[in-house]
Amino acid sequence: MTLKVYGLPQSSATQRVLVVLKEKNVPYELVPVDFFGGELKSLAFLAKSPFGLIPYIDDDGFILCESLAICKYIAAKYAGSGTPLLPDQSDVKAVALFEEACSVEESNFQPIATGIVVEKYFKAFRGLQPDDKVVEECISKLNEKLGGYEAILKKRRFLTGDNMTVADLAHLPTGTIIGDVGVKLLGDPDKRPNVARWWKEISSLPSWLTVVAEAKAA
Amino acid sequence: MVLKLVGNPLSTCTRRVAIILKEKQVPFEFVLVDFAKGEHKSPEFLKNQPFGQVPYIVEDDGFVVYESRAIGRYIALKYRDQGTPLLPDPTDLKAVALFEQAASIEQANFDFYASTIAWEKIFKAYFGSTTNEEVVKEKLAGLEGKLDAYEVILSKQKYLAGDKLTVADLFHLPYGAVVSAAGFDIFNETKRPNLARWWKDISSRESWQAVKDRADA
Repeated sequence: MTLKVYGLPQSSATQRVLVVLKEKNVPYELVPVDFFGGELKSLAFLAKSPFGLIPYIDDDGFILCESLAICKYIAAKYAGSGTPLLPDQSDVKAVALFEEACSVEESNFQPIATGIVVEKYFKAFRGLQPDDKVVEECISKLNEKLGGYEAILKKRRFLTGDNMTVADLAHLPTGTIIGDVGVKLLGDPDKRPNVARWWKEISSLPSWLTVVAEAKAA
Repeated sequence: MVLKLVGNPLSTCTRRVAIILKEKQVPFEFVLVDFAKGEHKSPEFLKNQPFGQVPYIVEDDGFVVYESRAIGRYIALKYRDQGTPLLPDPTDLKAVALFEQAASIEQANFDFYASTIAWEKIFKAYFGSTTNEEVVKEKLAGLEGKLDAYEVILSKQKYLAGDKLTVADLFHLPYGAVVSAAGFDIFNETKRPNLARWWKDISSRESWQAVKDRADA
């Protein structure tokens, strides 16, 4: 049975899973959910995804939620296919640096960047005005965090070293939206040349460009 | 040379690591970071932890790991064969996936709300700032919603990843305790009995009791 992804092509969490599936050449079927029709609050949906969130996958009856967990599962199950996206599991230190990078994304990037997305993207969607003070605060915090990223990427091609992993790809969806709404912190080569180099490399991946194109077409 | 835990004894994230070190019976030396002197922003500190945050660990061969959850996972993996087992069987892909799901739930669904409440109600005051009650109200409502989902999950299994305790459960302890202590009865037994059962289980563990007040205990 082909792996099913329940989500939406424009959802950033769904997009993380889609880019990993494409990098690993894993065939899948994206089953769109009726987001605005309240499907995520239905009992049937909550039975599969108790937090009422997308995406979740159904891998031949195995249900899994949480985009990062799904990405890691796919990268492990299809380790031998497509781009390797996990560290050598027998190398305890390499695994530690990978989990460190995943945690950095989750705690130092995601909440702040999402703050910008909520104000400048989601609010616009609903015809509401962004809170400029919040945006300014988020930009200031993100600038500070990207200083840390610059220090890491000065010594490494990717967040964990020479090889790209799920930790790098996890930044793509939210990182792309903030650029789209005019917050061009990731791609600024004058300010942070190594972040810009890394960002250019991962955001130009054919797999990512396809995810973006498919979202626009949907 | 013993593992060094570099941090602050009262820091929630430093205590998160201390719990795992205790569970895995790993001796460690606590190294205090002087925030008041801005030590966490010094070039020496930033070489080890580029975000100027605590904690980080230093192994005797100089290997540094930061991000409390990454450190916790590393300790649990390196010392797999001693103390409490805290990770799934690595050869069982589905068990690993369900563990990763639980770990993500903690970091993405619990921590965001709980840490903001903790910051607003408790930690902000240390830096001379005042609580924004609107933010607390908003985040508390969000947290209560998430905990309703926890109740459903924990009604079917003992712990967040399944029937075995993992680091994903223990990672909740510091912020769960701070939010409760701030007067929010989020683990109320009548409201969410399974969540209450789970919280009682993990918070009564010796490892947490040892470090709940100070990580350098």
